[in-house]
Amino acid sequence: MSAIGPALAAAGALAAAGSACGLALPERARPAAVGACTAGVGAAGLVAGVSALRGQLWSASLPDLLPLAGVHLAVDALSGLFIAVCGGVTVAAAVYGIGYTRHGLAGRNVQAVLPLFAWTLVTVPTAASVSTFLLLWELMALSSLLLVVAEHRRRAPVREAGLWYAVMTHLGLVLLLIALALFSARAGGETFTALRAGAGRLSPAVRDTVFVLALAAFGSKAGAVPLHAWLPRAHPEAPSNVSMLMSAAMVNLGAYGLIRTGFDLLDGGPRWWGLLTVALGAVTAVYGIVQAAVATDLKRLLAYSTSENLGLVLIGVGAALLFDADHHDELAALALAAALLHVVNHAAFKALLFGAAGSVLHATGTRDLDILGGLRPRMPATTALFALGALGAMALPPGNGFVSEWLLLQALIHGLAAPGVTTAVLLPVAIAAIALSAGLAAAAFVKALGVGFFARPRGSAAQRAVESPRAMLAGMGLCAAACAGLALVPGTLSDALGRAVAASGTGTVGGRILVGGGLDLRLAGFTGRLASLWIALALAAVAAAVPAVVRSRARAPRRSDAPLWDCGAGAPTARMEYTATSFAEPLQRVFDDVLAPEQDVDVTPVRESAYLVERVRYQRRVPDRIEHRLYLPVLQLLARAGQAARRLAGGSVHRYLGYGFTALVVLLLALAVTR
Amino acid sequence: MGLSRRIREIGRIAEPAPPRPEGETPPATRLLCGSAQVRHVDAGSCNGCEIEIGGAFGPVYDAERYGARLVASPRHADVLLVTGPVTRNMADPLRRTHQAAPEPRVVVAVGDCALNCGLFAGAYGVAGAVADIVPVDLEVPGCPPEPAEIVAALRRVTGR
Repeated sequence: MSAIGPALAAAGALAAAGSACGLALPERARPAAVGACTAGVGAAGLVAGVSALRGQLWSASLPDLLPLAGVHLAVDALSGLFIAVCGGVTVAAAVYGIGYTRHGLAGRNVQAVLPLFAWTLVTVPTAASVSTFLLLWELMALSSLLLVVAEHRRRAPVREAGLWYAVMTHLGLVLLLIALALFSARAGGETFTALRAGAGRLSPAVRDTVFVLALAAFGSKAGAVPLHAWLPRAHPEAPSNVSMLMSAAMVNLGAYGLIRTGFDLLDGGPRWWGLLTVALGAVTAVYGIVQAAVATDLKRLLAYSTSENLGLVLIGVGAALLFDADHHDELAALALAAALLHVVNHAAFKALLFGAAGSVLHATGTRDLDILGGLRPRMPATTALFALGALGAMALPPGNGFVSEWLLLQALIHGLAAPGVTTAVLLPVAIAAIALSAGLAAAAFVKALGVGFFARPRGSAAQRAVESPRAMLAGMGLCAAACAGLALVPGTLSDALGRAVAASGTGTVGGRILVGGGLDLRLAGFTGRLASLWIALALAAVAAAVPAVVRSRARAPRRSDAPLWDCGAGAPTARMEYTATSFAEPLQRVFDDVLAPEQDVDVTPVRESAYLVERVRYQRRVPDRIEHRLYLPVLQLLARAGQAARRLAGGSVHRYLGYGFTALVVLLLALAVTR
Repeated sequence: MGLSRRIREIGRIAEPAPPRPEGETPPATRLLCGSAQVRHVDAGSCNGCEIEIGGAFGPVYDAERYGARLVASPRHADVLLVTGPVTRNMADPLRRTHQAAPEPRVVVAVGDCALNCGLFAGAYGVAGAVADIVPVDLEVPGCPPEPAEIVAALRRVTGR
């Protein structure tokens, strides 16, 4: 008896109950009831996902639910992995959201949509036909859009972010619609079973078109450069519990879509698919983390880091496609397993980080690192949780991000032996990109933690900060537990990863990729071994031993209190601390050509003399260059076209009738000629 | 090539070491064992003394061969080399510099202004001589004192 069906049914029922609670209950009882229902949705998703990862399969067909096509659902281990990740993140975000209700977030609309969004996250991976998938996908986009603009009355940037998100997610939907419609039309059926069966009959040109369109559509959801522009806008402006859901769960579904389409439905393709995906992932990873390293807005930094991590996932998926095309099945399976493990790890630490950032926002009302600081004594729990998340994001042992990046590097390094000129060129570049992004991630998160939480407060907002409510800390604590578990005993996931990879149709049937005891992780087909728990224990032992040895060796010092030496100039103030901007300044210089920062020095002399300066104003902005160079010209062109088109619509009814008539005649002529 | 040839051509230009200077040494210097780290504090000097101090630590007089070395922070220093009359703005920083230097510390007042405010005595911005602000152990008179005299005072501190 499969647990998946009842769990998914429970998720649907709980989501409906949550929405009803959000609409009907009074404001005081609303967040707790909605949070409980949403957490229930997540827990049901987690149960369904874990059962699928244990090898259960489930499918259902509800022909009467949707006119014409009907609803088809199926769960295998691959969807199970994503359902479990989304479910886990949802539980944490829902618990967190019970406490995060400031500034009108307990309002009726927000609270009613939240369970719906959570439910779509859990159910998108269960879709087993094109129409079901598109319907759920669009429901997910719309409900998240409503949540992004929750605070639009309070802050103007929210409206702009909402507009960007609405436009870009729908452009992605259009691409996806074209890709899947073309696919199902040529394959002769719209259920995934029919697509799988028909994929072999497709001409190479159609397969290539479908893949490229799907890559663009799913890539834009995953924040791949250059279609990432919505991500660093929408994720920071959304309420923080929604940021958790979007950044840790929703973007993963882009990766899911790509894996499902590329491996399962299309069953792999030519080598350039993989090369394209790897290149896209490498560019995304490096560009995302460079932007994160120079960002001064805490949540924007995290959003760019999301883009980077999904770039790493894309590298893994691309490498798997590449190895699959070359029939290196074991390598392909390893690369895909690394990508999937990174999805899980990223979800854990990014939900934690966004939660901690939301906690800071809740306490201080600002996300600007330059005026934060000094939060450690005021918010000790939040600081500790953020530090744990940052450790994961930095990809250094003993963080959980390290495990999956190590696995990804293993896959690429073992893949260097594969023949082919493009492989020989691209794989080392991809390895270098991963290494570079790991280094820059360390810089970015040292900045976020050091500047944001340590030293003295730079502004009055940070001075008045108090620790967040217990519900928020509990939500973050769940994520922290997941992070610690993933970091210390990643071996427990090895069977689940193997099943998920096998479900995507990659790798040898029944072959194992990872051998994990409780304590260490070994690659099955290659030499490679990682004992995270022992690394963590060794680090902890060294960290405890060094001070102890130093203390025992040193002579007992005469203790005297002395004022800080300040060069005789007076006590140092908070204005003398490193800010996020000054910390990132050397990096910004190094990446000057990539970032193209805008600097503006404005010198005002006194009226009497040009040589005496009254005021110097220095301004620096680091705009998203791709957005500037790629999007703004297109937007300006559209605006100009719109202005020009105004002349066509002068208001005369006769003219409009004339347009209709002309269009009809042209259409008929075209039909007559082509038929 | 050019540099090594110049070094060879110029050779050693330090003057031969004069005999050890007479005079008592401050008691604190015994703990320094012949090595003194010196922090220079300009408490309001006209910079004449600074030029001579520069000369004292230059290659001709070469105070470093007697164990005196200029350092960049009072936290590293055993000796404070104070010049100039102490101006109002520098009185407090001088006191704090003195506090910041670890014990045992030696204060050497260099130049007439440091000893008795010299030309600037009674001026509006002058808070007093160095001895009015911090205890002075050694005095080097002169306006400005010659580098040889500064070196002689430092040799009394280092005992070499």
